[in-house]
Amino acid sequence: MRLRAQVKKEVVKVPLSVDERWDLIENISKQTVEFGAYKHTLKDAIAELTVKPLTGIPVAIAVIYGFWSFFCDFAGTLFTDGFMVKIFDEHWLPWLQSVFPGGLRNSFYALMVDAGHLEEGILVASDNCFEAFGVLTSGLFIVFGVVLWAILAFYLIFAILEDIGYLPRLAVLVDTVLHKIGLHGYAIVPTFLSLGCNVPGVTATRPLETRKQRFMMMTLLAIFVPCGAQIGIMQDLVPELMGWIFLTLAIGYLGFGFILNKIVPGKSPELIMDVPPYQMPTLRNIGRKLWIRTSGFLLVAVPFVLLGCLIVGLMYLTGAMDWLAAVFGPLLMVWFGVPSETVAPLIAGFLRKDLAVGVLGGLMAQGIMTTFQVFTSVILLCIYFPCLATFALMIKEENWKELLGSLASLVAMVFVYGGLIHLVGIILGVA
Amino acid sequence: MNEGEEKFGSIYFAVLGAVALAFGVAELIASAGEGFTWGILDSSGASDPLFLPWKAIILISVGFFYLSSVKDFGEVHQLAKAVMASIMIWIVAGMAIWSRIAGSIPGEETWFNSLEGFLASYAPPYCPEMFLLPFSLVIVYYVLKEGETGK
Repeated sequence: MRLRAQVKKEVVKVPLSVDERWDLIENISKQTVEFGAYKHTLKDAIAELTVKPLTGIPVAIAVIYGFWSFFCDFAGTLFTDGFMVKIFDEHWLPWLQSVFPGGLRNSFYALMVDAGHLEEGILVASDNCFEAFGVLTSGLFIVFGVVLWAILAFYLIFAILEDIGYLPRLAVLVDTVLHKIGLHGYAIVPTFLSLGCNVPGVTATRPLETRKQRFMMMTLLAIFVPCGAQIGIMQDLVPELMGWIFLTLAIGYLGFGFILNKIVPGKSPELIMDVPPYQMPTLRNIGRKLWIRTSGFLLVAVPFVLLGCLIVGLMYLTGAMDWLAAVFGPLLMVWFGVPSETVAPLIAGFLRKDLAVGVLGGLMAQGIMTTFQVFTSVILLCIYFPCLATFALMIKEENWKELLGSLASLVAMVFVYGGLIHLVGIILGVA
Repeated sequence: MNEGEEKFGSIYFAVLGAVALAFGVAELIASAGEGFTWGILDSSGASDPLFLPWKAIILISVGFFYLSSVKDFGEVHQLAKAVMASIMIWIVAGMAIWSRIAGSIPGEETWFNSLEGFLASYAPPYCPEMFLLPFSLVIVYYVLKEGETGK
């Protein structure tokens, strides 16, 4: 009250001289600020440990280990393998096969329920939702049987790390590495977000200051960062290859980022970031974030996956897929070392990457690919084009020049990196 | 924190750090080969071979964190190292427990596991970090003590 009265009294005497203003500030600060040596608390000391490289890197490894371990057990072991595979393969698929009008040779039935597959020249019904490739079987299984749980697990841990205050510290920790490729530590936030879904990841590039940084970040996200849905399907199909897939993508992210930084004109200025103190996350906040992000994701994913299933099914039925396989087959086989059938997942990948890996799963089940071909195909699916939703957002966020630049980088990257992987395979004798 | 508590903390976490370091090195060696199972201690990585080397690196770091915290243990920055090491154990051990929980609920052929199957999921052998978990909880006492003296 005394302070307020003093301020009121002084302000009434307007205009104040510069000296009078400073005197007023000093008076106020003397009455409101407590001076003395600041004693570090345990929280401060822990916060310091998580940003110093020597101690921060092992902590980051532990956090990422926990993240990944939870993701696999929650989405893979508990929900997808534990319950969803049973629901879809043992109940939903047989039920639809028995009640849906038509039959194996009926086109509408093939599009909606089960296209079947050839065994010794005889068309037989599929016994799992990955192979059936109908809108109501594979489409729904991919979204609700696999992807939903992967996304839930991812966003739950992401929200916890965000609310605890760990993410800004991770940004500080990786700042030195990311500076080498013209980005700064904050780039870890869009990268992490993109591991859930590329769409919010691209949106999160907005705080980056220059067009160069945004262009680089969006291009790297679109090419080298698989979304949670895709990761979920990959984990379900090729768990033994996940380490190699992530290593290859990380090398590409850093290597291609380094090259982009050298050839793209523009500046990469510093960004000052607020690093909040560690705090306890609240259940309400976590719940709201989880709901907003998961529902947002489903709104984007469900129509695209179902539409993708329909388009791929139609292309198989009309023979367009065989034609494309014949046209692009030689290129795929010679340059990338993958079979011509890979054209189907690549087409599906324009709509959804998770759907594309699902289509790849169907090919794997037919036994027409070696392990290295599966590995190469998964990498190609990751890097060859962003999914339609991400592409639409990139059109909105970038100008035409930048968009064309992103696409040109993408095409160059696919050929160089895809060819390089094939070459490494040949040298190692596995391709 | 009084002098006795500080001294006890130093000795206790030095021993725990040495054990964590030994477990970490053993897991690292195990990850290069086929792993090992010794009585109720399991380091075979049978359920998650991909994770074994990473777990080993984390346990080795835990060991170093604890060992580097023992000198002048009562000082807040030193205590923070021990707290961080304990948190890292809680993460890896927590995930090992979560992995068992996730695997114990659904049944092989049925929707849910039988009671026998459910209980069998929690039977030994256990991975090293699960042995370290109860011993790492001692740090909670020191955090509470620090909270009292820090006020």
